[in-house]
Amino acid sequence: MKIARRTLKVEVPTVAMGDIVFNLLIFFFILARANDDSHLKWLPAESPKIENIGNRKASITVDIDNKVYLNGRQVGIRDLQAGLEAALGNAPAGQRIVLLKIHKETLAATFEPIMEAVSEAGGEVVHVLQQEQK
Amino acid sequence: MSLKIPRRTRSLFESPAVATGDIVFNLLIFFLVCASSQPDSGRRQELPRSEKETQEKKQQKNIEVAISRTTLSIGEEGNLVDSTLADFPSRIRQSLAQRSAAKEDRIVVVRSTKDTPYDRWITITGMIEDAGGVITLQLQEEREVIVP
Repeated sequence: MKIARRTLKVEVPTVAMGDIVFNLLIFFFILARANDDSHLKWLPAESPKIENIGNRKASITVDIDNKVYLNGRQVGIRDLQAGLEAALGNAPAGQRIVLLKIHKETLAATFEPIMEAVSEAGGEVVHVLQQEQK
Repeated sequence: MSLKIPRRTRSLFESPAVATGDIVFNLLIFFLVCASSQPDSGRRQELPRSEKETQEKKQQKNIEVAISRTTLSIGEEGNLVDSTLADFPSRIRQSLAQRSAAKEDRIVVVRSTKDTPYDRWITITGMIEDAGGVITLQLQEEREVIVP
């Protein structure tokens, strides 16, 4: 009597496909936000009146080491205007928001030329601040 | 004699416990991304083009505010009077009350020394805007001095 050999079927587990796709999606989502500046260290100044800000076109950060970043990339103040003009492009008024994330102890020698560059590039200044705690 | 054998009630579709790690990992990433994309909050500031020192004659009739790390002055036509941070809101309101509602009449020229910290500048410019002033920066032009 011949005993039939059992053939084992090896299949790729498809259960995990959803998880893999989801992880890839998040991976590319984070990559797309590569110009994110959330890794920079700075402390916001306080203000009693603050409002939520809409979509921004560019963001300038001055960190605690007094270094200037445009969209997360370190730049010199002299190159800021050209960089901003490129980032703002031909966006219409109301959609030319430039976020200023300036460390609260930064001196006017640094932040005033930045504001001038934003103004010259036609950007709309929005200071990122923290609600004043009483 | 009859022996009762309890029936095993086992669901055919049990969720695989192997996937628990994946689920936790996915949830972790989901909330991490959610937390990192919180909207920013702050204050809009209308900033006309900067004025250079060379245009000082044009700006003589505007209200001027001079800020340094420790001092604060307010006045008109170059006659600045020292003020404290507590008095400043009433002084700026008083100065602006004498002017019309036209935007060009409500320009406040803000001049800061290079050692003025940003948080102080934000506090004072916030007071000016709350009083209805329109801020214009007056930047000091850099001069190269050659020492013999």
